[in-house]
Amino acid sequence: MLETMRQPLLELKDIKKTYPGVQALKKVDFDLYPGELHFLLGENGAGKSTLMKILSGSVQKDSGTILLDGREIAITSPRDADRHGVAMVYQELSLFPALSIAENIMAGRLPRRNLTGTVDWRRVHAECREILKGVGLDISTTTLAQDLGVGASQLIEIGKAISRKARVLLLDEPTSALSVHEVERLFSIIADLLGRGIAIIYVSHKLAEVSRLAHRVTVLRDGEKVGTLPVNDASEATLIRMMVGREVTDRYPKEIVPIGKPALEVEKLSLGRRVRNVSFSVREGEVVGVFGLRGSGRTSLARSLFGLEPRDGGTIRVQGRLTDIRSPVDAIRAGLGYITEERKLGLVLRMGVAPNMTFASLGSMLRYGLIDHAKERQAALGLVERLRIVTPHVHQLVEFLSGGSQQKVALARWLCARARVLIMDEPTRGIDVGAKVEVYRFLSEQAREGAGVLFFSSELPEVMSISDRILVMAQGELVATFNGGESTSDDIMAYAAGGSTNGPGGISS
Amino acid sequence: MSKSGLATGTGQVPATPMAYRRQGRSVFATLAGPATGLLLLITMLAIASPHFLTRLNLLNVSRQAATNIILAAGQSLVIFTGGIDLSVGSVMALAASTAVVAITHHGLHLWLGILVCLLVGAACGFVNGLIITKGKVPDFIVTLGMLSAARGLALLVTDGMPVPSHYVAVRAYMPRQIIALGAGEVLGIPAPFFIALVVVFLTWFLSQHTRTGRHLYAVGGNREAARVSGINVDHAKLAAYTASGLLAAVAGLVLAGRLNSANAHMGTGAELNAIASVVMGGTNLFGGEGSLGGTLIGGTTLSVLANGLNLLAVSPFWQQVAMGLVVVSVVVFDQWRRRRFAGRG
Repeated sequence: MLETMRQPLLELKDIKKTYPGVQALKKVDFDLYPGELHFLLGENGAGKSTLMKILSGSVQKDSGTILLDGREIAITSPRDADRHGVAMVYQELSLFPALSIAENIMAGRLPRRNLTGTVDWRRVHAECREILKGVGLDISTTTLAQDLGVGASQLIEIGKAISRKARVLLLDEPTSALSVHEVERLFSIIADLLGRGIAIIYVSHKLAEVSRLAHRVTVLRDGEKVGTLPVNDASEATLIRMMVGREVTDRYPKEIVPIGKPALEVEKLSLGRRVRNVSFSVREGEVVGVFGLRGSGRTSLARSLFGLEPRDGGTIRVQGRLTDIRSPVDAIRAGLGYITEERKLGLVLRMGVAPNMTFASLGSMLRYGLIDHAKERQAALGLVERLRIVTPHVHQLVEFLSGGSQQKVALARWLCARARVLIMDEPTRGIDVGAKVEVYRFLSEQAREGAGVLFFSSELPEVMSISDRILVMAQGELVATFNGGESTSDDIMAYAAGGSTNGPGGISS
Repeated sequence: MSKSGLATGTGQVPATPMAYRRQGRSVFATLAGPATGLLLLITMLAIASPHFLTRLNLLNVSRQAATNIILAAGQSLVIFTGGIDLSVGSVMALAASTAVVAITHHGLHLWLGILVCLLVGAACGFVNGLIITKGKVPDFIVTLGMLSAARGLALLVTDGMPVPSHYVAVRAYMPRQIIALGAGEVLGIPAPFFIALVVVFLTWFLSQHTRTGRHLYAVGGNREAARVSGINVDHAKLAAYTASGLLAAVAGLVLAGRLNSANAHMGTGAELNAIASVVMGGTNLFGGEGSLGGTLIGGTTLSVLANGLNLLAVSPFWQQVAMGLVVVSVVVFDQWRRRRFAGRG
């Protein structure tokens, strides 16, 4: 093809990056031609974001080279990236809400009149009108950023990047928050930009977007490049296989335990547009995995079950009893426990191990209405030993524990509270492999003791390995249910990425 | 940090004396700084002024420190939750004025009068807490509003004059029991200071031995985590503000007893001293950590400093400047210390 004869605009060679405990990127090569859209695929944790962050200068590579126009460049800060024409369009948009579009676009380089040194507003607005025209927006340059929708904000970010002479655009899940109409508009702008020779690296979970947009696709898994394919060779089946991998690992301890009575029954639970009419049940001794990509409503479902976000409708029964869960206090009283996505959101770092373990069960540690410190200490010591938490003493501040131990303190809280149903939202995110195994073991142990476990995750291998049943969520709905061992990762991924019950691959709506 | 002695079994967990490790690190360690500061100040003043270390002067200092320490104890509970109560000075004036007017002008029974005082204080605190939690209004704004409103109400209640007033036909004189609160002696120490010590003990006990106390720290340490752990964040905050209002009323009674009178201008600016005492005691202004022991030391330090400036004949105008500088410097130093040692054992 033509591309092989031209020089790549951007070339990455042997990029390596290690975070404490994790090798995020292992010798990754990547290249990008002018006017090309190069799709980057991979599961969560595969290394996509790390690669994007290295290019945009917010983290630095450990080794490897970055070539622009065949010459080596150093990107050690977002400023460098900007100078070399590499621009990241952030998922969480970075506009100043109380400033006008014009002020946002021209922030930091407002043109001034020579004579007075004051801002030349006429020029500002004239330049901005040009930029807005370039991204197909027909709105006033005096509109405040806070009055814009996500779609328009994103286009403005893109416009801003282009106006700063960006040659490489990094788009990270750009369609995750857009309506169908906005997606179409974005796609036509993208086509236009490519026509002007701008190159784009595009990260998304939506497989349908590959054939729609990409020239080539690169798949990462566990920090390694699995391969790069021209779009014509990249069928969805192939891509899913590359993303998920086939190796079955035994990193997932799982006990088979007898399944008992229903522990949690949820009927027609709704939360705005994020969770719609979701019904399912979890039985005692059962581990139910809920798989969903980002934006599938997974986290919202978990939070509304625990009363963190008030549901609009639906009923929740715990051990057969109808409960009206409006707050975490209600949820805990009903017998639920909750491990958060962000570990630190669940822990009070500046307090000791013992108090963190007993927050949810302090009521049972009282004597004459006062905290029985001896009893609390005994309980904490028991949990430290049982979960093998590494801490010098039970009053060590949680802040000073390792990530894995912190996670275990969060788990211990619900052991202490004797929760009958555990809701775990991404409990293994950001912890190392050893600690993950401990979490799985904990899950199994809880199931064996008769608790129902509801396990939310976006990591397919773990969901498949530890669940008795797998629920797949997409666009706020339950789109499929599989029994453990009866599904392939391709099936699950297809439903999760497709988001329609008609089968894999449909464009999200 | 002590990574040694990794605990995998019960036997290996060092048996630490519970009482000193409740909040995760030795109480002695966190109080060492404030206590050293106080001792240094005392030493310096003892050298600089022959009058400082006299029995009379020390009794005087402790009497003056009392109301501030009582206010600071309540303030501590609020600051543990990550909040702030700017209204304590005004609430103190309103509660004391209302009670004294009721007793002396309207002949209300002494004990009912004291009950009224405490109820007024607690009610003001409760209203603060209610608006902050249910109305989701920043604590700063709500208590600043209360600062103004309570002062205004105190002026209305007293008609702007010291009470009991010479211009109205009083039904009773200031009860000797209230005077005793401010001017009496218990076990050889001034009654106000004794009351302050009791208040500090009770609030310490509340903070360390009750569920509510635990919740205060949790809410201030990590609000979202507290919520996820099933802690009713609103209840905890409400409790803290109500306690702060109640203790402001106690401080008001003590001050009225000492002055043999109440007036609407009592405790003007007292909130700054209370907050300063809390912070000088090593409590984190942003919540989640601190101790009542620290507040006791901080409050004492502030009064010793004021007394010292008096003894050294510093002009009262300069005294105000000096107090402001000291308070801000302490907070600046505290912030620096926290940043410097952030993430370390």
